[in-house]
Amino acid sequence: MPFAGIDIGSTMTKVVIADDQEAVLAAHIGPTGVEHRHLALKVMDETVLSAGLSFEALDFIVATGYGRINVPFADKQLTEITCHARGVRALFASARMIIDIGGQDSKGIKLDGDGKVSDFVMNDKCAAGTGRFLEVIAETLGIDLAAMGDIALAADGIVQISNICTVFAEHEVTSRLAEGADVGRIAAGLHQAIATRVVNMTRRLGIEKEVVVTGGGAKNNGLVKAIEAQVGFAVLTPPEPFITGALGAALAGMDLFRRGIKPQRPRKREDVTFYS
Amino acid sequence: MEATQQVKTTAVKGTETAREVRALVKNIYKSAHEAKANGRKVAYMMVASHYDEILRAMDIVPLPTENYAGLCAAKRDMDRFLHKAEADGYSQVLCSYARIGLGFDSLRKELGRIPDNSPDGGMPLPDMMIGSSAVCDPRFKWYQATSRYLEVPTFAIDVVAPPPQADLNQVRDHYIAYQRAQFQGLIDFLEMQTGKQMDPERLWEAIRLGDRAWQLWYDIDRLRVAVPSPMPSQDHFSIMVAGHYYSGTQTAVDFYQKLYDEVKHKAENKIGVTAEEKYRILYGGGLPPWHTLWIFNYFESFGAVFAIENVYRGFDPVQVPSHVQDPVDYLAWRAFLRATRYHDQARTRSGSPAVEKLLGLIADYAIDGVVFHACRSCRATTIGQTHIKSELGKHCDLPMMQLVSDMVDLRDYSEAQWKAQIGAFMDALAARARRA
Amino acid sequence: MSIMKQIEALYTQRGVRARELRQAGEKVIGYFCCFVPEEIITALGLIPFRIQGSQREPIDEADTLLEPMACPFARSCFNMALKGQYEFLDGFVAPHSCDTIERMYHIWRSNTPSPFNHLINVPHMMGPSSAEFYKNELHYFAGCLETFAGRKLDLEKLRQAVRLYNRRRALLRELYALRKAVPPRVSGTEITKVLVAGMGIPAAEHIDVVRAFIDEVQQRPAPRPDGLPRIFLWGNEIDDIAFIELVESCGAHVVMDDLCTGTRFFWEDVPETDDPFDGLVQKYLCTHCPRSLVPQAGGRADDLENRFGYIREFAAQWKADGAIFYIVRYCDTCELEGPDLKEYLTQQKLPVLMIEDDYSTTTMGQLRTRIQAFLEMIA
Repeated sequence: MPFAGIDIGSTMTKVVIADDQEAVLAAHIGPTGVEHRHLALKVMDETVLSAGLSFEALDFIVATGYGRINVPFADKQLTEITCHARGVRALFASARMIIDIGGQDSKGIKLDGDGKVSDFVMNDKCAAGTGRFLEVIAETLGIDLAAMGDIALAADGIVQISNICTVFAEHEVTSRLAEGADVGRIAAGLHQAIATRVVNMTRRLGIEKEVVVTGGGAKNNGLVKAIEAQVGFAVLTPPEPFITGALGAALAGMDLFRRGIKPQRPRKREDVTFYS
Repeated sequence: MEATQQVKTTAVKGTETAREVRALVKNIYKSAHEAKANGRKVAYMMVASHYDEILRAMDIVPLPTENYAGLCAAKRDMDRFLHKAEADGYSQVLCSYARIGLGFDSLRKELGRIPDNSPDGGMPLPDMMIGSSAVCDPRFKWYQATSRYLEVPTFAIDVVAPPPQADLNQVRDHYIAYQRAQFQGLIDFLEMQTGKQMDPERLWEAIRLGDRAWQLWYDIDRLRVAVPSPMPSQDHFSIMVAGHYYSGTQTAVDFYQKLYDEVKHKAENKIGVTAEEKYRILYGGGLPPWHTLWIFNYFESFGAVFAIENVYRGFDPVQVPSHVQDPVDYLAWRAFLRATRYHDQARTRSGSPAVEKLLGLIADYAIDGVVFHACRSCRATTIGQTHIKSELGKHCDLPMMQLVSDMVDLRDYSEAQWKAQIGAFMDALAARARRA
Repeated sequence: MSIMKQIEALYTQRGVRARELRQAGEKVIGYFCCFVPEEIITALGLIPFRIQGSQREPIDEADTLLEPMACPFARSCFNMALKGQYEFLDGFVAPHSCDTIERMYHIWRSNTPSPFNHLINVPHMMGPSSAEFYKNELHYFAGCLETFAGRKLDLEKLRQAVRLYNRRRALLRELYALRKAVPPRVSGTEITKVLVAGMGIPAAEHIDVVRAFIDEVQQRPAPRPDGLPRIFLWGNEIDDIAFIELVESCGAHVVMDDLCTGTRFFWEDVPETDDPFDGLVQKYLCTHCPRSLVPQAGGRADDLENRFGYIREFAAQWKADGAIFYIVRYCDTCELEGPDLKEYLTQQKLPVLMIEDDYSTTTMGQLRTRIQAFLEMIA
């Protein structure tokens, strides 16, 4: 019995198809783009294909992420908070906290003993503490975003960055560069600043072990280390941090399906239309 | 409050007496710790609530929590307290003084002791907390929230001021009566907490000392009309410690007497703050940037001296009518007269007591430009700055600038932006000087 | 016109009725918050008008006169005044509710004065001396307003006004009782429209509107059980349906509130005392706005119970499944109160979602995820 989850984030669209044993049958990642509704379907098609299934065979589809509302083929929309929690629960039974650092927002999620969401926090309407912030700063520093974490880890010290407002931080970074500060140290300072902000936000929930870091931020070693320094112990990261939300969406769909909630209409690939 | 100078851009010749403030600040916290050890009562309190003398007369050791926040910022040790308060659910736009206080109390509770290396040894647990509605809203609300971390008797009083357009003859009686009742309520509360009766003679004595110190402080500020400026605003933000935290004590009187003598000597002998005083600046309002007090020195590197300021000032001396014989009545009258000091003048010109006061300072201190500091988390001292600035512009032609950050939260500050803004302001001052 | 259409018109075209009345020779007195006794204004033959902001218009002109770290509700109101949208006010009355309103009063008065301007000082403390002071402030206000109106305040008329407003209060409570049903007979969105509609028209007219609306609601067929969570809303100024509509569109019923624009302004009656001013003071001094300080009552637990017990009762009687705090940003007293109330409600096993927002419908969509996640969490 296959269940699909589609997570439409600000930059990436992720699709996971899982079976009723919570095993991943296939997963795909594609850019979200402006035309994300069409691209969403494309990623879905690719995933279905790699799973060796047909679109019609999917028992339940859950859409999540900020683009979840515009997925006409989904049977249910759930927020990324619920889905991340569900995905992490499948990966780490011992998880009690999730720190998700996405492209456009970051969030902290607290899980109860059953792995259900008991509280959560999200960052405000501001890029600070998000992937977007790192992107902007990487550009200012003239380095590759993907390499930023390693550059920071390789640095032999740290330049304190006090501003977390993206615009102010850009100013500050420019000033530090002009003063001749080392790029690696600045990158280390930035990771520390983001980690402080995100962990501090998560502290509102009361941090408990184990902590799982998800989202694009989990792929940045420098940031993960900075988060560990803030919480004071090692954190866990999923093998594929990007797809945690999509996996959770697929499994949340399975849960709903098992509770007797069925797709409202028969699923036909050719019926999927977009109104724009 | 002293400045920990991050970058010393120029040698500032402030007053010698101001250097003694460091010890006065340390002593606030030291006395509070000693008082706890000796069984004396310590109270969290808010400065400029007009009740200092009552606390002194009742042997209560005051612990000014807002100012502890300023101290933490001056020591650049504020983040751990701000972060703690935010982790406890307080908004990042809430008054940052309150955030530091709440964060400090939260950390102390969590650790079961004063957080390690807290500035000046940290604040001991108070026996009570006394808020007030003077100046702003957080000052009466903050201690209610603090009860989350420490359960001690908590009290607050209203401090009321009529709007400038009110007919003082019609409202005076009920304002003073209410103020008196509020002070009396505080006395009743303190009597209950201490088991001691208020001695009116001791209250009179504290009032006498309080008024004497504030008169001297006022006289010192009047000496600062001298050109070149004998005492810069940096010193003001130190020497206010005596007036606000030692109000009603001989210590404050002695300190201001000494400072008066020094400033008088400097004024008479034309000993200025900088070698060349090109411009005289008025600090027009807003809490000072405790995190970056060296910025005043940066102005001085351009020959711009902050000659006078309009925040954390002492109240101008007022004349309480001689028929007032009771010390609590006196306090109520004094609070009313202080609050309405510029009301009559405002009604005849700008409508705003703040504008009147600033216009007076601009004229008396031969001011060349005005700088305001908007603090993102302080509504009370920030809202109205833009309005005041535009009103001032109707009555004088001076370059004016509003810098934006926060009194303690460094996250709201951008050095690059400030320096650019200050540069443009200096250009405006120079252009005005050329025109003259 | 159907009653819902009439309410819709009053809600969307705010100020239209006040302008009409003014054309007919009446005088309209604008005021802020829940501390100004409309009874006094009404008894003097004047029309009270509660000043509202606009969450749908950007704040632009006010930015040059009022700092952006001031409460955006206040800034929005002032922005509208600067744009001439409150030119119909003959009077402008602000209570000293909080730092922002008090400071804005002076800026407003200086930039767009009305023929009559007045600031009422409202004590932050509660107690006998505060009541006495407030009574004096109300007498002073009434005296100034008498001069403006050119007539004396007749105490009998004031008593009548007290009864009139109490009648409206009773009706609004009756309307709120319809929200107790599961599912509620009336939505939070509709309630907001009814309340906001009443802010700009004479109480007597609002009474007719509310009466007709209640009658209409009672004729509706009982809604089918839907199992949707029931939300209690706490915060400050919500004079637009946008937020409540958002919550309800995410799959919930907003069933009860403690808001400046909700129960705070009407829940308690004005006691009918011999001296009507005594009754006014009793009611208006003790609204539940966090800017009023409830004196400490014992230890922490007792104190929280004393401060928030009424909310526990609201939540129980209206069977709330969760509470959402909607705080218009930069409100220091709400921001100090929120964590205390959250602690209290969490102890009562009522989940809480705390939101700080900018009083703008354009950015509100960003809250959708948080609200949905909260609803998924409490489901």
